Amino acid sequence: MTTTYRSIALRGVAAGAVAGVASALVQLLVTEIPIRAALAVEAAREPSGDGHGHSHGGEEELVGRGAQVVGGMLGVVIVGVAVGLVFATAYALSKRWFAAGTPFTRSFAFGAAVFGAVALLPWLKYPANPPAVGDPETVDHRTALYLGVVVAGLVIVWGASLLADRLREQSQPVRTTAVLLAVTAAVAVVLLAFPASPDTIPADMPVAVLWQFRLSSLAQLATLYVGIGVVFGLLVDPATRRAKTPAAAPHH
Amino acid sequence: MTSPAASLSAVRVPKWAFAVSLLGLIVTYLVLQENGLALGASSELLHEFFHDGRHALGVPCH
Repeated sequence: MTTTYRSIALRGVAAGAVAGVASALVQLLVTEIPIRAALAVEAAREPSGDGHGHSHGGEEELVGRGAQVVGGMLGVVIVGVAVGLVFATAYALSKRWFAAGTPFTRSFAFGAAVFGAVALLPWLKYPANPPAVGDPETVDHRTALYLGVVVAGLVIVWGASLLADRLREQSQPVRTTAVLLAVTAAVAVVLLAFPASPDTIPADMPVAVLWQFRLSSLAQLATLYVGIGVVFGLLVDPATRRAKTPAAAPHH
Repeated sequence: MTSPAASLSAVRVPKWAFAVSLLGLIVTYLVLQENGLALGASSELLHEFFHDGRHALGVPCH
């Protein structure tokens, strides 16, 4: 069974690869559509531009459009594997997280919580923007704000887990309600405390393209993080393999 | 019949697990954030190659 860290970590890598490929396919089939529309907006700004890729101040583009599509998908898969590895380590360390649940329940709930902390919460505060929106002057500031919200989200998950553990003597509705109220309050504080994005949306960016991109991005993030929780849960839960074990090990 | 949590608490996380996790975070950083801090000039190529993935995953970009 999954009793060594090495076996847990390998399952994290496998779950990350599967969820990363799924998320990359969402990118190819869904997110790529508004990205193309946004790049067309960007190309229309520069008369000298040929409508491909992403140029920096008019210099020659380093990577062609086709390579960017492949690179973007590859990047998502690599991030999936890396996050899967960190996910598996955190899972192995967080023994109090839904301690009464099955490994699948624990992993699924963990994946959903990580999605909420590092994807949904930053998305609510600083929604994803397609190419042709960001101001290069403010990218460092925006990155710092974004990472701040990610860290705050992870602290909320950690705090919720700690609070749930502290309240384990309470009857069930009280315990869940208290944790949910605390999480809601903490999320509200984060959303109010962090400043608004310094960037404005350029007037030439169609609102439909902007939101199609934002929702596509959210779908892709959900596929990645919840996908890792689901696949990792299936891989570590002994119940998933119990039926196959006798057939896999025939006796002679 | 052991409880699910009991089998899990048997997993001992070695020290090198933290190095492995750090590696995972560094890889994530290189793909999603590298703007020249760690790799210098070659980061521009990396940045452009992973460009779509960065946008798609909601990470701030110029």
